Amino acid sequence: MQFARALRVSEVPPGEKKAVDVSGASVLICNSNERLYAVSNICSHAQERLECGRMSRGWIACPVHGARFDLATGRAMNPPAKEPIATYEVRVVDDWIEVAVGDQRVNAS
Amino acid sequence: MSAELKEPKSTRKGEARCPGAPSTQEIIAGDKVSAPGWVRSESYQFLGDEDIPTDRYIEPSYAKEEFDRLWTRTWQFACREENIPQIGDYHVYDVGPYSFLITRVGANDVRAYYNACLHRGTKLRASGTEGRASEFQCSFHGWSWNIDGTNKTVVCPWDFPHVDRQKLQLPEARVELLGGFVFINMDPDAPAFADYLGPEFKAHMDAWRLEDRYVYLHVAKRLPCNWKLAIEAFLEAYHVVRTHPQVAVSNGDANSQYDVYGEHVDRFISTLGVLSPHLYGKHTEEDILNQFTLGDSGALGDTKRTLSEGTTARQVMADMFRGMFEKATNTDLSGVSDSELLDCFSYTIFPNFFIFPGISLPMAYRFRPDPRDHRKCLYEVMFLRPVPKDGKRPEPAEPTYLGDTQSFKEAAGMDPGFGAILDQDTDNLFLQQEGLEASAKRGLTLGNYQEVRVRHFEKAVDKYLAMEPKKPDRDKLPSR
Repeated sequence: MQFARALRVSEVPPGEKKAVDVSGASVLICNSNERLYAVSNICSHAQERLECGRMSRGWIACPVHGARFDLATGRAMNPPAKEPIATYEVRVVDDWIEVAVGDQRVNAS
Repeated sequence: MSAELKEPKSTRKGEARCPGAPSTQEIIAGDKVSAPGWVRSESYQFLGDEDIPTDRYIEPSYAKEEFDRLWTRTWQFACREENIPQIGDYHVYDVGPYSFLITRVGANDVRAYYNACLHRGTKLRASGTEGRASEFQCSFHGWSWNIDGTNKTVVCPWDFPHVDRQKLQLPEARVELLGGFVFINMDPDAPAFADYLGPEFKAHMDAWRLEDRYVYLHVAKRLPCNWKLAIEAFLEAYHVVRTHPQVAVSNGDANSQYDVYGEHVDRFISTLGVLSPHLYGKHTEEDILNQFTLGDSGALGDTKRTLSEGTTARQVMADMFRGMFEKATNTDLSGVSDSELLDCFSYTIFPNFFIFPGISLPMAYRFRPDPRDHRKCLYEVMFLRPVPKDGKRPEPAEPTYLGDTQSFKEAAGMDPGFGAILDQDTDNLFLQQEGLEASAKRGLTLGNYQEVRVRHFEKAVDKYLAMEPKKPDRDKLPSR
């Protein structure tokens, strides 16, 4: 599994999220429910960017049409999305958040 | 000495009270930390003793009439303000066929947009969801609206020369904020919310400062009965001794107090930490102490309960609960009376909202009819805790939806003792629904005092059902 540095830990405090390009993918790093998540920043419904959406209690909502995704699994929680979004392995090394973009657990196609 | 529960001494209707038992007010007057005025007052009114016709529970056509007459005219709890903390946040509230985007447009500006595209009607957001909108864009053809309800986009405007963009403002229901709750009303001609509630109850509500609480547990379950039967199961303590025998040991059930306030609000006060009059002479103060069930006992931990000489179970529980709850939730309860800490205060705002402002049972209930089946409804219970002293507001709990056959005890975070009580309350309901359909008696018979809230509720139902149908009509709404 290839991890790449994404952001400093201090850039994503609790309750915050930040989009970053990692190895050509737009990745949303989320600090929610006292842990870090890394998911695709692109909604599976109409390819809108999720980064301005609301994040709460382990989900992110698309700001344009309202689809919500489970940050842990990428599962689409409500219409109009059906397909999941990609989720990525995430770890912290030396104050850096690292993401393994080449190792998508969900929606790898 | 056992109390006589069967022989009313009073001759005027509605004046009889449980004989041989102290009144709720007498029990509360004996507390160490005395209660505020809103607790120490009574407002009972005799409202008649005729049977309540049962067609309202069993006829599908009656439910249809409710959607056209009652739900379109009454103030309803839509969500908590904490569900939409930031500008652009929205929460989808549905009742029957109606759906609204409860949207925060400014710090004190919350709006309820009808959740439907003005092009070909698609919902702008799916039901049961919330989020933060950069815009409300229809997922069908892409017409979109700004969060202030003004139209943002008509795709291919050259094809819509007949559409006045200025008139494409999203239609709104009325919104009022009270105690951290967002209430809406579809009727532009309905009374102002304060008038709907009346001044006395409004003063109670203001005293509770429920805006300083947050929802720490939210559980929802579909119930196999008409929504009105579900509500009525929670309007009295008369059922406690038979439905919840384990609770009666520490609940003043037959001597609970019932009050009505105007047409839309009523309440009971049911004292806890005292023996049921049904059980006088059968239990000791130690029994009462050990049987005491709290809705929020998670805050108490495994504290040992001991009764020292000369004290009552009620006082021991009040003292213990005050200390433990302050510590567990980082809150200051020094100014809170024993009664507010212990007792069950059940208030209803017509048509479907319950608020329990006490500390041991800090809840809100909501009941909504199933638009496709008059024999089903959705019941929600929310537990409200004070926001911690350091002011950091926790996020409100995500709702847990139980399956039809699941126990309330299975909801993560639910106190098992309280979950068992809710199971007992709701497990009677399919029998009542089916029994009413099977019965040769076409009316419910009610007690004059203990069931006055059921009558009060149904009188309000009658009032709205006697009105003409009134469906939302954009052309009759005031323009913004």
